[in-house]
Amino acid sequence: MLVRSTSGGTSAVLPVLTVFIICCMLFSGVLFALQAEETPVTESPKAESPKAESPKAESPKTEVPAAEAIAAEQSAVSTAEEVKDPAALKLEETLKKNSKCLRCHKRDKTKLLEDGKEMSLQVHQEDYLASAHGEVSCVSCHRAIGKRKHPSKKTNITIASVREYNVEMNDSCRKCHIQKFKQYKGSVHSALVAQGSDKAPVCTSCHNPHAPVSMAQYQAETGLPCKNCHENIFNAYSTSVHGRARIKGNTIRDSHIQAPICSDCHHSHEVTALAIGDVLRTTCIACHENVTLLHNQWLPNTGTHLDIVSCAVCHAPFAQHKFDLHLYDNVAKVPLALKEGDAPIQEQLQAIADEGGTGDPLEIWKARGGLGQQGQSADISLRSRMEVMSGVAAHQIASKSFAVRTCESCHEPGWRQKQNVTVSITQPDGRRQSFEANREALSSVKAVESISDFYALGGAPSKLLDILLLLSLAAGIAVPVGHFTLGKMIKEYMARGEK
Amino acid sequence: MSTNPAEQKRPDVWIKTKDSELYINPLPVRIWHWLNALGFVALILTGTHIRYADMFNVMSFETAIKTHNWVAFAVIANYFVWLGFYVFSDRITVYHPELNFRKFFDKAFKQIMYYSYGIFRGAKSPHKVLPYDKFNPMQSITYQIVMLLVVPLQFITGLMMWDVKRFEAPIAMLGGLNTIVTVHVLIYIFFVSFTLIHAYMGALGNTPVTHFREMFTGYEEEH
Repeated sequence: MLVRSTSGGTSAVLPVLTVFIICCMLFSGVLFALQAEETPVTESPKAESPKAESPKAESPKTEVPAAEAIAAEQSAVSTAEEVKDPAALKLEETLKKNSKCLRCHKRDKTKLLEDGKEMSLQVHQEDYLASAHGEVSCVSCHRAIGKRKHPSKKTNITIASVREYNVEMNDSCRKCHIQKFKQYKGSVHSALVAQGSDKAPVCTSCHNPHAPVSMAQYQAETGLPCKNCHENIFNAYSTSVHGRARIKGNTIRDSHIQAPICSDCHHSHEVTALAIGDVLRTTCIACHENVTLLHNQWLPNTGTHLDIVSCAVCHAPFAQHKFDLHLYDNVAKVPLALKEGDAPIQEQLQAIADEGGTGDPLEIWKARGGLGQQGQSADISLRSRMEVMSGVAAHQIASKSFAVRTCESCHEPGWRQKQNVTVSITQPDGRRQSFEANREALSSVKAVESISDFYALGGAPSKLLDILLLLSLAAGIAVPVGHFTLGKMIKEYMARGEK
Repeated sequence: MSTNPAEQKRPDVWIKTKDSELYINPLPVRIWHWLNALGFVALILTGTHIRYADMFNVMSFETAIKTHNWVAFAVIANYFVWLGFYVFSDRITVYHPELNFRKFFDKAFKQIMYYSYGIFRGAKSPHKVLPYDKFNPMQSITYQIVMLLVVPLQFITGLMMWDVKRFEAPIAMLGGLNTIVTVHVLIYIFFVSFTLIHAYMGALGNTPVTHFREMFTGYEEEH
């Protein structure tokens, strides 16, 4: 009975069920189609957001078919509440960690410093969280201001100046940026800071600690941050062949690699003064690899020229030049450089400069107590290099077609005598200290010994040798003329006698 | 025939001549001498141009340097013609026919007296020019110093200046580039007067052209 009644009921329900299922399928089909059409519309606002502009936005994920995209989106929506993005979680965590600090410091607060100026204590929360330091807690750097250590009116912590605070805080970068900090410590910038310079940069001079950006985001063409201090040099660079190529998008030569910006030659952290020894030449040759070969095609003694003449002397055709005499360690075969802890030697250098660089440097060195500096050789001489007068001139590198190519530019005594002469040494911080010397230095007889390794043909005839040449020429003429005349006179005298 | 023992022992085997007694300058010596003379004049002129570049405008500095270098290499190669000839021939005796110092100084004194007095009175040179005893004592000593010491020193210093980088080590050993250049310039200064006086003395033969003809034809004229 039961079976029967069931079977009787089934026959009536089946058509209804079938119609219902078809209706459901049709309805879901319409919905599916509608949603598929709507998908690009719903994603378009996302594409305009800043994040969508990043390379990640162009990842293949955006190209998946609409159905899969919906499925992925649906699954993401369904799991969003259960599992949060780890980065977002971390950010939230940092925000929580820093919330106490930011509660006050997101406001425009200032502190009056001892120098009478005000220091901003404000941290822009959005910039900070979006920066590379976004996940770092405030106390990681501001270790002195931990829990229960925050300065108050009672503790009355005083800060002399913004500069002093920045110098004091500089070491906190070392904790995370070990390698970069080590490079910075070896730089001329760091050495100057150690010497008490109030201008040389510390980390925060270039990198805003509360909104640091990655190196790739620096707009090198603007010259910042270097231009802040080295504006003249950057302006000279901007008009140079390198600077113009950079601005034009390196279109000077099709196959040209990217033209160098400040840090390409000077490095960004281990910033060096390139005028030391052959550092500059090495830097130029690093890109201009075939430089020796090209010069060798026309320039006699190419190797010596490249050693003695700084690249800019010929390639910055409008620059003023100088002959720089530097103390040279003949044993170690390097320019003599002072080390930390060495006694200052301004007096010795001044003495060498005063004597026009013509005194025996070793004698002057000895007499002024220069010997005995740690690790320095006793075999010291003066070496000369031709260089441009200033850092600005060194950056005015012109296109190859403007480079000086006439030998007479340097190999003429008249030209040579107009050039400046300096005596210099490399300081422990890597910079060169120069003293102006007598222009006669290079043509003096003493120079044969004291400046034993430098000679420019046609450029520095010594006066003594000039006199000797004149005497030789006079003898060459006077001996034959005198002998001939004497002979004639004697013959005439004898002829008269015979008569 | 000559009374000189060296002359009697060694017949001239270099080039058969009609009269070997008068054959003073064999072909290799003549070739060497005139190439060397041309080379020296060119080197002195280009050298002066290089050293006093602002005083002369005959050629560019670059041309002066290149000419000086090429001529210098030719002169060095030519030096070996001279050296080879005298090392491999018996004519070396022209530089030291007899190793007798007393005789040498005696002859040298006579030669000086001849040039400073005798020559004006029409006296004959105390030295008889012979194929194996060509030079008077003054010539012999001067040419030996010049050819074995001064000229090689000039070649060596010049070679070092030609490629300073290549010869860095020997330059440093000899006291630095400035010393090398100074030696080169001093020798150049010496050769300025040497060349002029040498040319004048060449005209002090029996007739003013005697020695010049000797150097062109190889033969001394009969007298």
